[in-house]
Amino acid sequence: MPCGQVDRGRYMLFSSITFLYYFLPVTLTVYFLTPKKRKNLVLLFASLLFYGWGEPKYVAIMLLSVAVQYAFGLIIEKHRHETQAKAWLAASVAFSLGLLGYFKYMDFFIANFNAVTGLSVPLLRISLPIGISFYTFQILSYTIDVYRGDVKAQRSLVNLATYIALFPQLIAGPIVRYADVAAALESRTHSVRRMRLGLGRLMIGLSKKVLIANSLGELSALFGETQNETVLFAWMYAAAFTLQIYFDFSGYSDMAIGLGRMLGFDYMENFNYPLVSKSITEFWRRWHISLGSWFRDYLYIPLGGNRVTNRRWLFNIFAVWMLTGLWHGAAWNFVLWGLLFAVFLVLEKFWIGQRLAAAPGILSHAYVLIIVGVSFVLFDAPSLTEAVRRLGLMAGAGGIPLTDTVSLYYLRSYAVTFLLAAIGSTPWPKHVAERLRTGRIGQRTLGLAEPVVAIVLLLAVTAYLVDSSFNPFLYFRF
Amino acid sequence: MKRTDIAENQETGTVKADRAIVALVCGLWLLLALFAWIKAPGSISLEERRTLAQRPALSVRSVLAGTFMDGFEEYAKDQFPARFGFRSLKASVRYHLLGYKDNNDIYIEDGIAAKLDYPLNDKSVQTALNRFQWLYDAYLEGTQTNVYAAVIPDKHYYLGARMDYPSMDYDRLFSMIEDGMPYAEYIDIADSLTIEDFYRTDIHWRQERLWDVAGRIGQALGTGTASPEAYVLTEADELLLGAYYGQSALRLIPDRVVYAENAATGYSRVFNVETDAFAPVYDVEKLSGRDPYDVYLSGAAALLVVENPEARTDCELVVFRDSFASSLIPLLLEAYSRVTLVDIRYIRSELVGEYVDFVDQDVLFIYNALLLNSANVLK
Repeated sequence: MPCGQVDRGRYMLFSSITFLYYFLPVTLTVYFLTPKKRKNLVLLFASLLFYGWGEPKYVAIMLLSVAVQYAFGLIIEKHRHETQAKAWLAASVAFSLGLLGYFKYMDFFIANFNAVTGLSVPLLRISLPIGISFYTFQILSYTIDVYRGDVKAQRSLVNLATYIALFPQLIAGPIVRYADVAAALESRTHSVRRMRLGLGRLMIGLSKKVLIANSLGELSALFGETQNETVLFAWMYAAAFTLQIYFDFSGYSDMAIGLGRMLGFDYMENFNYPLVSKSITEFWRRWHISLGSWFRDYLYIPLGGNRVTNRRWLFNIFAVWMLTGLWHGAAWNFVLWGLLFAVFLVLEKFWIGQRLAAAPGILSHAYVLIIVGVSFVLFDAPSLTEAVRRLGLMAGAGGIPLTDTVSLYYLRSYAVTFLLAAIGSTPWPKHVAERLRTGRIGQRTLGLAEPVVAIVLLLAVTAYLVDSSFNPFLYFRF
Repeated sequence: MKRTDIAENQETGTVKADRAIVALVCGLWLLLALFAWIKAPGSISLEERRTLAQRPALSVRSVLAGTFMDGFEEYAKDQFPARFGFRSLKASVRYHLLGYKDNNDIYIEDGIAAKLDYPLNDKSVQTALNRFQWLYDAYLEGTQTNVYAAVIPDKHYYLGARMDYPSMDYDRLFSMIEDGMPYAEYIDIADSLTIEDFYRTDIHWRQERLWDVAGRIGQALGTGTASPEAYVLTEADELLLGAYYGQSALRLIPDRVVYAENAATGYSRVFNVETDAFAPVYDVEKLSGRDPYDVYLSGAAALLVVENPEARTDCELVVFRDSFASSLIPLLLEAYSRVTLVDIRYIRSELVGEYVDFVDQDVLFIYNALLLNSANVLK
């Protein structure tokens, strides 16, 4: 799961044996054997099974959301040119956000309410329906676009449910706008070419997640447990977690895009090498693009965007980024994480933007990496206090040593993974492939290498997944 | 060739390539999936020494509770075809290709596998000490027993320290045990061992190289030193691919078990209280079993009594121990008419008194460092 703090709970991972060797082969086989007319039904059924695998009871909530929003869509369209359309849209938005608020934020509000008032209102401790943050935003984009007249309301309940529940993007995005897939829901093409491209993208995503992100995740976890705190370990942790979350999240997006392509859908790119950015503004144009563009189109611009007074613009920026932080998780560190970016976006707009543009690339790049690294330490910490403590360790607070045997051991151990992750987070591999593709020999070599690489990656990913069940019991008695 | 011809050929070639690539990758994928579905489930993993997950029962209740789904993923991973082969592949990718210094916390130096286990878990050591104290209070205090304690350093103590691997604080561990057991005479055996005294692929030590250890303990217990000349060494034909081989899934040269026989080991019989059965000191049938190390006193058992009718004395020894003692005790046997081995991982301490009368025996607590660092298994 990317953005580990977003949606907790049990769910079927793409990077699981159950998904790769049971769910997906059966789903694809049935899907391609089914006549065109019934393909959406197959996808819907498969998606509900996929979703229900985690929390069967939450399928009902999703279906309720679909049914209610289906009705809202039709009503809003029917009254589009009447004043009551706005009321229906408000009801639709309130319903979606109400569900999200109840499941995701209620305990956060209660905890803060208790802290402020000194009362002890018991927490609800509801488990979060997986993917609710993603599908809520998808549903909102649908009803808002219907209200705006950008799309027609979907007449088919199955098609709308398929759009919302479609398993490739259901639990981890990208946040797919209805407008982007409306045509494909009615009719889409399948081809061997799309299958090949989709497979390739799926393999890349799986490898990013399993081979890189999970490995770096181990290092992040080690830092969380270590008694050997050093400045070096703290920085390694910050770098590991930043790369982990990038490879995890972008890996999921790659998998979603690949699966979508195989099934005839074209999803938007969600990441565009954000870690090569030279300003925070650029970073957010490249990171989680579907979320950024969602907030831009459905919140920032409706609030007036930047065509307002400076004071109002500042409010818009801080409101959007506070909510962006809150979307990632119901805790203050996420809010601060969002606001941290708001601060730097404002700084870049008014003061340092031009200087950054004129500065040597290495400096502006270092600036982004440090800000982003620090932000993800804040993002990952279990509490604000712990975030401050970890940031302090990075600065050597408390007189901790610069390094020790443990830190150096892990530095040596993870060096190649760090190097691969660093290279993989840049467009260089893509550029090299593109350059090779321009020549006939290079093209042929790539053509031959592609299936080999795909098979090697499939086997390596499988090997990692199978080994994740490694659980020795030294004292086992046969 | 004209430019348009090239483009057409490329287009045709691309379609062919598309088909070939999709067929190859999807074909292999489906093949693996089919194997996964039809493969008969195994029951145990010899390498990991544990039972493998079985297909969970499908019911409305298990689905609604989510236990079916949790169990299914465990089952799918445990029962995946060529599981150990895939684990080896992962180990090779991680260890050899990506340059990790260990796999599943097992590292290899000079062809010897050892486990990274750090830092020292003070709580765990204290748990062990509390357990030992309870045993002393319940059974030993006020008796005429002589109590001894020894810690067996693990391979990492000898191998890792010189290689700059993270390490537990062994000196602290030794002093915690020594200081925490004031009722026992501490026997320091750390410098009686070297890394060569352990199997390459396994956690355990090699019996045929324990003369110094047996001598040090014998001296402390007052039974004299073990003399290697008095023993006949027999090397088993069977190969030992030990626990660390299975855990690391990395290529290692197998070991061979050697057992030391003398008159005492020949005369003695081992009574297993649990199974109510006798066995020889060296159960050679175990050599071809799942773990050849089980040749020593037939492997893990809660309570064993070794009777030596030809002993030099009528002294008795009680050993609170882990599996390391199985290969050590035959070397101490000559001096004792009866040795009782108690493994409180498999029997509750409260029950020990029902089977053992503590009067005037020598009592030895001997545990390896890894166990003391994860002592929650002691009951």
